[in-house]
Amino acid sequence: MRASTIEELRAAFQEPFWRLGRDAARDRETVLMSWPSVPVELVRAAGLQPVFARGHSTPTPAADRVLEPNIFPNRLRQLVEAALTARLANVAAIVLPRSSDPDYKCFLYLRELARRGIAATLPPVLLFDLLHSDDPGARAYNADRARDLSARLAGLGGRPPLADDLRSAIVSADRARAAARRLHKLRSGPSRVSGADALPLLGAFWQLEPERYSALANASADTLVQRVPLERRRVVVAGVPVDGTAMHAAIEAEGAVVVAELSPFGSGGTSADIGIAGDPFAAIAAHYGRESIDARLPVNTLMHKLDDLLGAAEAVVISQPHDDASFGWDYPRVRELLARRSIPHTVLGGDPAFGATAADLESIRRLLGNTPSRPELRCG
Amino acid sequence: MAEKQLESTVAAAAFQKQWFGDLRRRVFDERRPYALIQADVPFELFDLLEIPAVSNQWWSSLVAAKRQAPAFLAAMEADGISDQLCRYCSLGLATTRYSKAGTAPWGGLPAPRMLCARLTCDCVHRVFSLWAEAFGAELFEIQHPAASELPPRWWELTRHRWRELIEPHRLEFVTTTLERLIARLESIGERRLDRDALRERLARVNRQEEIFDATRQLIATAPATPVRMTEQIANVMATQWVRGTDWAIAHAQHFHDEVRARVDAGVAACDGEKLRLMWVGAGLWHDTDFYTAFEDSHGAVFVWSMYLAFGPDAYIRYGLEDPLAALASRTASFNEFLHNPPWAAEWIAAQARAHRIDAALVLHPKSMKPSATGRIFIEQALEEAGVAVLRVEADVVDSRAWDPAAARKAVASFLDERVPQ
Repeated sequence: MRASTIEELRAAFQEPFWRLGRDAARDRETVLMSWPSVPVELVRAAGLQPVFARGHSTPTPAADRVLEPNIFPNRLRQLVEAALTARLANVAAIVLPRSSDPDYKCFLYLRELARRGIAATLPPVLLFDLLHSDDPGARAYNADRARDLSARLAGLGGRPPLADDLRSAIVSADRARAAARRLHKLRSGPSRVSGADALPLLGAFWQLEPERYSALANASADTLVQRVPLERRRVVVAGVPVDGTAMHAAIEAEGAVVVAELSPFGSGGTSADIGIAGDPFAAIAAHYGRESIDARLPVNTLMHKLDDLLGAAEAVVISQPHDDASFGWDYPRVRELLARRSIPHTVLGGDPAFGATAADLESIRRLLGNTPSRPELRCG
Repeated sequence: MAEKQLESTVAAAAFQKQWFGDLRRRVFDERRPYALIQADVPFELFDLLEIPAVSNQWWSSLVAAKRQAPAFLAAMEADGISDQLCRYCSLGLATTRYSKAGTAPWGGLPAPRMLCARLTCDCVHRVFSLWAEAFGAELFEIQHPAASELPPRWWELTRHRWRELIEPHRLEFVTTTLERLIARLESIGERRLDRDALRERLARVNRQEEIFDATRQLIATAPATPVRMTEQIANVMATQWVRGTDWAIAHAQHFHDEVRARVDAGVAACDGEKLRLMWVGAGLWHDTDFYTAFEDSHGAVFVWSMYLAFGPDAYIRYGLEDPLAALASRTASFNEFLHNPPWAAEWIAAQARAHRIDAALVLHPKSMKPSATGRIFIEQALEEAGVAVLRVEADVVDSRAWDPAAARKAVASFLDERVPQ
């Protein structure tokens, strides 16, 4: 893979959130979101660019004064920190999905902080209320919410919401999804790429202009397929969806390779197309209702997605940081599924934004030490 | 445990025990269906279709009060479910899934025909899915569309202007969902819901809550609080689970009349009341003696909790031409009033002013994450209202990390040092 391709995709994953506040003109064309349960196609159809808040070990002193501990994941603390330090003053809008209680509470907190004058320079703060239910009432509700968000974003972008703009955005995004799937396929069988490298390549889908993403992802796939497969133990990361590579790096430092992760930024983000048959608002709402991996995704759907990822996994690492209020309840079911497949697992309690704790590292070592090695494969 | 000062409190406890015994007999002997539901589900629909409903939160509080929670929660943790996850909503699940770990009160929960939950917190779907699986019962979920517009001073809108309080798309969605719930309950109960009876029931709920409103006013304005907070809770909650029934209205009136008589006679819950306290959050069910622990030492009396005050402000709906829409308007944002900014903070501060509160103890529940939000705004609003604030970190049903002596000592120090006498 050419270094420039790697760097551009990696930068498209890592940098956009941290660049906010440096270029007012660029910020004015940007919509900041907290989790990819907000359809990026709606943002792009409005002529705006999506950026996602991401977890990081950077301190958040201003946010810590207004957010209770052990409730809000680091990505939301970083978002509120940016809001309180005027980094978001020029952003077109902040959109939070109803993908978890902390995301919803963050929406309410930002509104309240603005009302109280504590966050004086906030752009419009919007909610995208997506219900994870497939009954007709919920489908209609979600489609209406997609129309409503589209109208609001189009208003910010200074253009009327047009279904044709959305159809074009969907077509472009589906092409980018196909390129991402090509990349992800290189992790099945003997993986050609480490998880820590793969996650940014896949995660860039959400923030990079789709045509550019397609070109870079396809070029990367063409190069990666030539690589010698990584003959390492194959690990799947589950539990609370990760939004960074720290956990992957910790696992891979112990001689394994992360071949999949239950996260929209990785394996779970681009597995299905939207399509444009019929009402594009209904189609996009149905897609995100079905595919968004978040704390409110029904447990049966989540278990199917995990089952699909397990493939030839030899071990599973389950992330369960202290702010989790949801995924930990799946543990009995996950344990049962893994037992049926004879796949060992471990549970990590550290915050992935800060990397593995000493206890987590010990758990990873114990897991991988106890994991029988797969017979070596050499292809390509 | 502090002695009960009101006859109505004794009667409320006896009613609940009798009610639960009757339920078990109906389920086991007559094979009649019952439902296990979250506290914010509209109980009225179940009752009108003759499907008795047990509140998950009531059951959890009972298990905790009987000091059985630690055994069940320890079994759940031993099964790999992290202790950082919500205990209040899941203790009932633990009594079912790990039934041999402890002794459930009053013979335990029989298997329900249906579980029903409104998907407020992220954990509710998961807890109730596991619970339904453990019972082999069906689960009906009430999806929770989220409010994006939260008009100020919500309690001034609930009674007459509830259509302004709830965004139309949310009201329509919840109404439609309740129609689906009714259809399911009609099938289980083998009877049709009489919409006129629903309207009449909601009018009776209004009557009950109007009585509580009058009682709240008595407590707020009396020179000294006439009834302990713990007895307020016992009387209010016994009626809320069967709200609008003959017994509930009669009991609410009995409770009111006793309070009225005490006020008229100048009887105080605590002789020599000096400080008026408020408790912000769910009850500390495993240590209710905590609420009377500062009467002798400081003349400090817990005057207010959400349980009495919330009824009149959150339940009453006038304009019942479309009773299901009125009921949906209550269901749509029910416990958000208690947690979400700006709703929770401005209501609690207003209540503190009305009740002449000197100091507030604000619960930061350890495992109930959504309920632990909004606390910072509540504390700021209280302090702006001149109320001293003490944070209390505790779990409402899990006593294992609770040190009663240390907690009492900390509160005593707070009262000594931070609250003007």
